[in-house]
Amino acid sequence: MSSTEDRIRALVDENLQIEGRDKGQPVSHSVSIIDAGVSSADIVAFWRLVCEEFGIDIPAEEFAELLTPSDLIAYLEARAG
Amino acid sequence: MALGRGNWWRPYRQLDNVSVTLVDLVPSEVNEQAAWQWLDDDERARARRFQHAGARRRYVLCRASLRSLLSSALNCRNQHLAFGAGEHGKPSATVNGHQTSVEFNVSHSGQHGLIALAPRRRVGVDVEERVPQRNLDVLVEAVLGPSERAEVNAVTRDRRLHLFLDLWTTKEALSKAHGMGLSLDVSGFEIPATMRNGSRRGVFRFPDMPDMAWQVENIGSDQFAAAIAYERDRRCQPLDSFGDVFPGVWSPGDWD
Repeated sequence: MSSTEDRIRALVDENLQIEGRDKGQPVSHSVSIIDAGVSSADIVAFWRLVCEEFGIDIPAEEFAELLTPSDLIAYLEARAG
Repeated sequence: MALGRGNWWRPYRQLDNVSVTLVDLVPSEVNEQAAWQWLDDDERARARRFQHAGARRRYVLCRASLRSLLSSALNCRNQHLAFGAGEHGKPSATVNGHQTSVEFNVSHSGQHGLIALAPRRRVGVDVEERVPQRNLDVLVEAVLGPSERAEVNAVTRDRRLHLFLDLWTTKEALSKAHGMGLSLDVSGFEIPATMRNGSRRGVFRFPDMPDMAWQVENIGSDQFAAAIAYERDRRCQPLDSFGDVFPGVWSPGDWD
């Protein structure tokens, strides 16, 4: 099974339009997706896709605090125990 | 839109005593250089964190415009103005360390920014360029209530995007006015039926705040979807008592 990091990378690659970045290029794990120029609509769609991919429900209020890939990966790994 | 040096914004709407300003975010080295001078050290540091020039430009031009509008409305110098954030990140302004009486909210998308100013009442504004959304089906499921979903799914493909963006920006404006922004699950409420049936104005109450009424208005155009939401119940001073919010020709030297 792919690692949490690989699965998040794939979701970002497929679903987030990051200005100045071509598909497949690496994404900095420490940069907020807001600072990467991602729209609020894309962030909300990404939230739902992460929930579907990992089969969990992340409250909107919690997801709003998980806007860097590294924070999101740490959260998901902690939830997985 | 003809904007002179230092003037890349113009009045867009006046609703009650709430003003909305349209900010032109088309690339302009002259405007970006001028705007950069008006930011403080924290804002410049934040601007540098943006990974791409487009995101940086939108932030810098909107923040400088906001500084101009607030300085004029509050009759204060730019260097005395500072910004903080509330519990869920909603920005607020202080003058010489004191909380101001004017609430504001900012949104940008593509080449358009909107800034709303409202004395003594909470306000939220949102703008989205009318461009295709790659995850429209996901968004429809994620952010709309049952009646809204049924209505959006019943129209033609072109109309579907248009209708979705109108609903989305209205919900975003409400969640930003409420103060929770992205933290609020907007699928838990629906836009007033009168607005979904074509009216551009409506009155809304959050399920968890039934005593508070919010005025909402669709202020979009063919190029972008946009909406504003503001508290309806508070009695307010007229905005013009805070000064001229829209200076004609203005440069940094006027208030440095």
